[in-house]
Amino acid sequence: MKMTRQQGILGLAFAAGLGMLTGLPGAAYAADDTIVWGKPGEITGFDAHVAGTVASWQMYQMVYETLLTTDDSMALQPGLAESWEQTSPTSYVFKIRPGAAFSNGRAVVAADVIGSLMRIKNPETASYWTAQLGTIAKIEAPDDHTVTVELEAPHTAFLAALAHVTAAIMPIKELEEGSFDPTSQLMGSGPFMVANHKQDESWSLTKNPHYWRKDATAPETLSALIIPDDSARMAALRDGRIDFTTFSNPDVALMLARDSNIEVLPQQTTNYYRMDVNAKSETSAFHDIRVRQAFNLALDRDAINDLVFAGSTTVDYPVPAAFGKDACHNTSTYALSREDRLSKAKDLLAEAGKPAPEITIMATSADPVYGRIAQVAQQSITEAGFKVDIVQPPVAEYLDKVFTKGEFDVSLSWLAGYTDPSMVIAWWNPNFAIWNQSFQEDVPALDTALEEVKSLPDGEIRDTKLVEICDMIDDGANLLALVSRTDYIAYRSDTIEVKVAKRSGSSNTFQFIYDFKSLD
Amino acid sequence: MFSIFGRIDRLSRFGFGLLVFLILLGLIGPYLPLGDPMRIGAGPRLSSPSWLFPFGTDELGRSFLPRVVDGIRATFLLSAVAVIITAIIGTLLGMVAGFFGGVADQVVARGADILFSFPAILAGLLIAAVMGPGQISAIAVISVATLPLFIRVVRSVTLGLASRGFIVAAQVAGASPWRVMIVHILPNIIGAVIVQLTYALSIGMIIESALSFLGLGGQAPYASLGSLLRQGSAYLTFAPWLVLSSGAVLSAAIMAVNLTGDAVRDALEPLKGRSLT
Amino acid sequence: MRILLYFLPKLIFASITMLGVSALVFLALRMIPGGYADVLLGPFVTPEAREAIAVRYGLDQPLLVQYLNWLGALFQGDMGVSMVTRAPVLDEFLRRAPVTLELALLALAFALAGGLPLGILAGIAPPGHRGGILARLVGALGASVPDFVLGSLLIFVFSVWSLWLRVGGYVSPIEDPVGNLRTMLLPALTLSLFGIALVLRTTRDAVLRVMTEGYITTALARGERPFDIIRLHVLRNSAIPIITVVTTYFGFLLGGAVVVEVLFSIPGIGFFIFSGLENRDYAIVQAGVLIAAAVFISINMLADLAYALIDPRVGSGRH
Repeated sequence: MKMTRQQGILGLAFAAGLGMLTGLPGAAYAADDTIVWGKPGEITGFDAHVAGTVASWQMYQMVYETLLTTDDSMALQPGLAESWEQTSPTSYVFKIRPGAAFSNGRAVVAADVIGSLMRIKNPETASYWTAQLGTIAKIEAPDDHTVTVELEAPHTAFLAALAHVTAAIMPIKELEEGSFDPTSQLMGSGPFMVANHKQDESWSLTKNPHYWRKDATAPETLSALIIPDDSARMAALRDGRIDFTTFSNPDVALMLARDSNIEVLPQQTTNYYRMDVNAKSETSAFHDIRVRQAFNLALDRDAINDLVFAGSTTVDYPVPAAFGKDACHNTSTYALSREDRLSKAKDLLAEAGKPAPEITIMATSADPVYGRIAQVAQQSITEAGFKVDIVQPPVAEYLDKVFTKGEFDVSLSWLAGYTDPSMVIAWWNPNFAIWNQSFQEDVPALDTALEEVKSLPDGEIRDTKLVEICDMIDDGANLLALVSRTDYIAYRSDTIEVKVAKRSGSSNTFQFIYDFKSLD
Repeated sequence: MFSIFGRIDRLSRFGFGLLVFLILLGLIGPYLPLGDPMRIGAGPRLSSPSWLFPFGTDELGRSFLPRVVDGIRATFLLSAVAVIITAIIGTLLGMVAGFFGGVADQVVARGADILFSFPAILAGLLIAAVMGPGQISAIAVISVATLPLFIRVVRSVTLGLASRGFIVAAQVAGASPWRVMIVHILPNIIGAVIVQLTYALSIGMIIESALSFLGLGGQAPYASLGSLLRQGSAYLTFAPWLVLSSGAVLSAAIMAVNLTGDAVRDALEPLKGRSLT
Repeated sequence: MRILLYFLPKLIFASITMLGVSALVFLALRMIPGGYADVLLGPFVTPEAREAIAVRYGLDQPLLVQYLNWLGALFQGDMGVSMVTRAPVLDEFLRRAPVTLELALLALAFALAGGLPLGILAGIAPPGHRGGILARLVGALGASVPDFVLGSLLIFVFSVWSLWLRVGGYVSPIEDPVGNLRTMLLPALTLSLFGIALVLRTTRDAVLRVMTEGYITTALARGERPFDIIRLHVLRNSAIPIITVVTTYFGFLLGGAVVVEVLFSIPGIGFFIFSGLENRDYAIVQAGVLIAAAVFISINMLADLAYALIDPRVGSGRH
C-alpha cells in the first residue's frame, strides 16, 4: 500500500513537471543591457599579484587596470598612467590619470601605484612577477599624481612588465585599513566591479560607476557563466545564453561555421606552445645534449601545424614570430629540410650511442590540444628512432613533477610571449627564471647575453644580439618553441558588438571590454 | 555453460552471441585489414564515414574503425584482468571472514563497509589522483569498487556453510582450516562467485570507461572505448560519428556482458515465476 | 526499544566507518602529487611561496596534528575554507546541496515512473510476451548505456537542433524556475536511465519471487482480478527489495553524480568535489567525500529502519 501511494505522489510530481515543460513559454532570458560571457574556467585564486593562470587573468582584466597597456602592434599605450617618460636608462616618471578612481569612488593616487609595486616585490606576497619588474632601487611620489622609479640597472622590459595584469594597481589604502582583502576580493579601477560570485557557477559584474572612460559603451551588467566543456559552451552560444566566449581549439571556427549569427575572431598572440626538455635528470635520456638536439631536429613542427591546427597557425621560434623579428629563423632546427633534420638527428643519436632512446612526453589533461600535439610529436620523433610514451596527468601533478621534482623527460605547455622580445627569452636563464631550474641547464655565456640584451634598446645592435642568443638556445635544445598559440573569440553578432585586438601579448584577451556593446 | 543454452531466452542468447563476437573481434582485430589505428594523417581530418573509413576519421586524421576495435580489446582486457584479480582477493577475504569469524570477520566486514560507503566514482577519482592516471590505477579503482561485492556474498555463503554437517565433519576428522576452505567450501561458493563476476565485469567496464572519459584511464594514443569517447566529445556537434560509434560499441559490449550474466544467474540460481493469466 | 537496541550497534559501526573514511580521504589527499601552491602559481612556484601558502592553510604542521585539527573543527561545524576563494566550505556546500538534491529527486522520479510499471510488467508477463521482452530490453539497455554516453548523445541532439531543453548553464529555480527545469531535465534524464533499469530489474525479480508464493496461487484460485492481486499482494510483498535498491540508488545520486554534473556543467556537490580535487583544494574534497559517505550510510540506515517498521520480524533476533 505504501508503495502505491508513494508511486502516486511521484506520478503527480512527474506530471506537473511535464506540464511545465509543455505549458509555459520560455522566460525572457537576459535582462536589458546585460552581456553574458561564457567563461571556460574558474579563477584559481583572487590575488592578481599572485595567480599565474589565464583563467584568473581574464577575470582580473575586467576589474583591475595596469599603468600601461599595449596596442595591436604590441606598442605600449597609456593605461592608468596618462603619460610616462624615461628620463635615464634607469629612471622613469609616470603621470597618473586624473579622474581614474576605484569602484568605491576613491581616486587612484601615487600611493596606490607604489604600494602595489612594493606588494609585488614583497617576498611574502609570493608573486612570480618580482623578477620581470627588475630591481627597483627607489620609488617615490613627488605629488599625488606622479610616481618616479629608479631601477638598479637598465631593464628594457620594465615598462612591458607593467602592462601585464599581474602588475595590477590595487587600492592600497583600503588594503592597509583592512576593508579590502586582495586574497578573497577583487577591487580595482577597471570598467567593472564584482557584484556577486558563485564559485564554479557564475559571476555578476556591474559597471564601475567611477570608471574614467566616460564614453565606454560597456553594458550595466556583465555576467559570466562558468562552462568548462567546449561543446556545452558552443551550445550555449547557439541558444543565446551567452554572448561571447573563448576557445583554444582551432577547429571551433569550423564547427561554428554553419551558424550565421556567430562570428569567430582569431587573436594572434606572442604566446607559443613549447616543450620543456629535462637536461638535468640523470635518469633521463635527455641528460645527453646530443639526444636533446636530435629530439629538437626530429620534431615536425609543420606536421603539428597541419594535423593539430589544420594549418591555421605558424611554426614559432624562441623569439616569438609575432614580434616580426627573424632572429631565430636560420638555426638548423628551422632552416633545414625535414629529411636533412631527420638524418642529422639519427647521426646525433648514433654518436651519443643511443640509437633508440626511451622517452615519455608529459601533456597535461587540461587542454585536449596538448594531447594532440604530443601524439603528432610522437609520430614524428619515432621516425628518428625514439621510443615514445605519452602521459596526460592533471595539471597539479604535471606542475609538481616538472617544476618542483624534475621527474620527467619532456613536457608540453605554452609560454606567454608578453610584449617585448627580450621578456620571454629571459626565461632561458634559469638563474633569472627560477621556475625552470629543475630542468634547465645553466649556460653562463647565454646568461650573460640575455642579461646584456635586457638593457639594449630596440634596434640593429639588439637584433644581432638576438641572433647570437637564438643560436645558443638552439644548441642547448632545452626549452623548445613549437607553434604559435592563437586564441579564438566567438560571439553572437546579433546580440553584441565586440572589439578585440588582432594581436595580444599578455593574454589580455578582453582589453577592450569597455567597448563591448549590447544590441538587445 | 553450453548445457544451459537451451533454457535461456532469445534476448540472452543474442547477448551471448554479441559477447562472443566482440571478444573475437577484439582478439583478431589487429590481423584484419581494417587499417592502422595509430597512423596519424591516414586520411583527411574529421571526415565523415565512407567506404575507406567506415567510422570516419578523427581529429588527427586516423581511421576510427581500427581504433574502436582496439578499444574493445583494451576495455575488455583491462576490466577482465581487474575483476579476476578482485574476485580472487575478495573470495579469499570473504571465506576467511565467514569461516574464522571473530576479529578477522570484523576487520574484513568493516573494511568492506568503508569501501562500500564511498561512491565508486569518488573513490576512483581519489585513487587515480594518488596513483596518477593510467591502466594500473584504473585496475585499482575497479578492484576497490567491486571488492565489497565479492566479500559480502562469499562471506554470507561461507557463514551458511560453516555450520553444515559435512564441514563440521571434516573439521572433526582433523582437516586443517585451509584445507577445509579450499576442498570443501570453495566448490560450494564458486557459483555465487561467478554470478558476482558477471556483475563486476559490467561494473568494471563502466568504471574503466568513465575514468577514461574523465581522462584518468589509459593514456593516449592507447585507445579504450572511454578514451575514444572523450576524444570525440570535443567534436560532438561537428563529427558526431566519433562519439556515436564508440558510444554504441561500448554500450553494446556492456549489454552483452549483462545479458550473458543474466543467463548465467538464471541458470545457477533458478527462480521460476508463473503467469497471472 | 526494540528498534533502539537494533540500531545502537549499527550506529556505532557507522561511526567507525565514518572515522575510517575520514582518515582514508585525509591521507589520500596528502599523497596526491601537487598541491594548491602549484595550481595557484603555475610554474612560478618557489619553495618560499610554497612555504607561505602552507603556513597560511596550516599545511606546515605534522600530518597527525592537521588531521586532529580538522576533526576537531568538524565537530564544531567548521569545515575549513576553500583555498581558492577563502570562503567557508560549509557555506559552499549548503549552496550546492539543493542543486544536487534537485537533480537526484528528478532522476529518482524518472526512475520510479519508468522502472516500476515496466518491472511489474516484466514480472507478470508470461514467457515470450511482447511486453515482457520490451521491459527486459529497456532493462538491459539501461544497465548498459553509461551515463556519459547517453549524456553525450543528448548534448549532441539538443545542441544541434535547438530544442526547448538546454545543455549546461545552470540557473537557480528561485530566480527562474522554468529556466532551471530547462537545464536540469537533460542531466536528470541521463542519470535516471540507470535507475530505471535498476528499479525495473529489482521489481521484476521481486514480483517473480512473490508470484511463486502460495497466497498468489490461492488468490488466483479465488478468482481475484489480476490488478487487485498486484496491488494487494505483489507490490506489498515486493516492497523491501525495491526500497533497498531505491535508497542505494538515491545515495549514489547524491554522492556519485560527478560525471553527469561535470558533463552538463551543473554546479552541484559532485562538480564541486571534482574541481576541488583538480585544484588540490583539500578542505573541499575532504568535506565532500565525508558528506557523500555520511549521506550514503544514513540513507542505508534509514532503509534499515524502514524494513524494521514494515516487517516486524526484522530485529527480533533473526539477524
